[in-house]
Amino acid sequence: MSAADPLPPPRTTPDGTAPDGTVAAAVEARDVSKVFFAGGGEPVWALEDFSLSLEEGSFTCIVGPSGCGKSTFLRILGGLEERTSGEIRTSAQSHAIPSAFVFQEHGVFPWMTVRDNVAFGLRMSGVGAAERSRIADDWLERVRLGSFGASYPHQLSGGMRQRVAIARAFATGSPVLLMDEPLGALDAQTRMLMQEELIALWEAERKTVLMVTHDIDEAILLGDSVIVMSGRPGTLREDITVPFPRPRSFDVERSAEFSALRGRIWDLLREDQPAARSAA
Amino acid sequence: MSAPAAPSAPHVGAGASTRAERTIEAARVLRRQENRRRAFYLALSIATPIVLVLLWELCSRTEILDSRFFPPPSEIAATAVGMAGDGELWTHTWPTLMRLLIGGGLGAICGVAVGLLMGTFRPLNAAFGPLFAALYPLPKIAIFPILLMIFGPTELPKMIAVFITTFFVMQISTVAGVRAIDSKLLEAGAAYGARGLDRFRFVVLPGSLPFIFSGLRTATGTAVVVVTAVEFTGASTTGLGYLIWNSWQLFMPEKMYVGLVVIGLIGAVLTWLLGGFEKLVLPWRR
Repeated sequence: MSAADPLPPPRTTPDGTAPDGTVAAAVEARDVSKVFFAGGGEPVWALEDFSLSLEEGSFTCIVGPSGCGKSTFLRILGGLEERTSGEIRTSAQSHAIPSAFVFQEHGVFPWMTVRDNVAFGLRMSGVGAAERSRIADDWLERVRLGSFGASYPHQLSGGMRQRVAIARAFATGSPVLLMDEPLGALDAQTRMLMQEELIALWEAERKTVLMVTHDIDEAILLGDSVIVMSGRPGTLREDITVPFPRPRSFDVERSAEFSALRGRIWDLLREDQPAARSAA
Repeated sequence: MSAPAAPSAPHVGAGASTRAERTIEAARVLRRQENRRRAFYLALSIATPIVLVLLWELCSRTEILDSRFFPPPSEIAATAVGMAGDGELWTHTWPTLMRLLIGGGLGAICGVAVGLLMGTFRPLNAAFGPLFAALYPLPKIAIFPILLMIFGPTELPKMIAVFITTFFVMQISTVAGVRAIDSKLLEAGAAYGARGLDRFRFVVLPGSLPFIFSGLRTATGTAVVVVTAVEFTGASTTGLGYLIWNSWQLFMPEKMYVGLVVIGLIGAVLTWLLGGFEKLVLPWRR
């Protein structure tokens, strides 16, 4: 993140909505490429000239064949991976944690209580004990873990642990949330419940969210737009706007429009299948 | 399960009609079984050593066992009481304890600190990793004469021998512990802004504590061996190792066994204390 240049301050209120209704780009990536040299084999271009612009307060989902570099892109945005070339601008450079990351699994610290996990980002950015425990408790209530603050992660189910991870990201107050298949390790029912909760949380907060998923339905259900990536090296294939109004619920999944959209994305991904196969 | 009970078994659960009552009854039965089993295992774990000691006593008194080599436990106990009374036991226990606690304690602290640094900073590991790995298998007792040569027959070389032993065990366990931290957790730390000392305090140290504690248990065992061995040598006239060795030379088997039991107890108590401390520090471990 350190290499990202700050944009001129966005004309937005702290909660991310612009006062005059216009939206600024919260994150802008231009021609980002990443090459891996692993194990002395052929260099692998995980990403090649990938550009993406995220509007302030938008929910964007990335889908793509496995190995297309979608997670790599997310990790580059989150400062967990260095890019080989390209430019990234984020509007939130002044924030202590410019973007908060949600990992798929095993991302919460097993040695901290649920409350300490949720408050971790705040603690690292120097928020006082009383303030951070107030914020953490508030977020625990909102993800329905109010009575589990003193528990340790191993005492929770997988779904509850992911709620901790999500609460931790929201609690930082960071304007950008990066989610790397946050619901990917959950069973189907838990996953659907969590999707609903995530919609509700996001619709209340309107953070800028970029979420990597391999679930097309999830991408359409949650996202304002769905980015379809091509197989390795990952490039932008199509940027699809999801037309469903907010607030959303699972009802949209029963509409013909939803099926058509799912079919279209699936076709795009299928065209890339040879690439996906060779990458698998 | 459901309300309409099978007509063929109308008296099942006759004493407890409601669901709640039946739940309580079932829980009570289960708990009773569990308690009975636990009490049985506890009794077994206490009775076995007692029976063995009684057997020893019996065999020794009836000369099935040679009582010169295996004096009856009652005589060993009587000797122990006598030695405790005239202070002889304490004059040997205290130095051994000090050597263990000071040498081993400092060795553990330094080993953990160096291990944490080596596990985190790659240049440091590159510089010292291979060297320490080469030194580790070297029997620490073999260094003892060199230490004696340098420091003379004082307390210092004995403590240093224990120090070196625990240092290496702890350094290696700690580096392994840092390596074993899930990379996702290190990334989570980085993603949420844990840098420098915060990274140590909130991510690296707690993440490697399980390995550190298993290292401490190994180190305790090894340190007890080394302190005993060091006290066996002529460089020592105190300590439980000296007591055992000297009693052999004077052929006083009872005293030998007293020394053996006490040093065993020290090892056991230290391990037990570590276990308690671990539970306290690592409440997140099942």
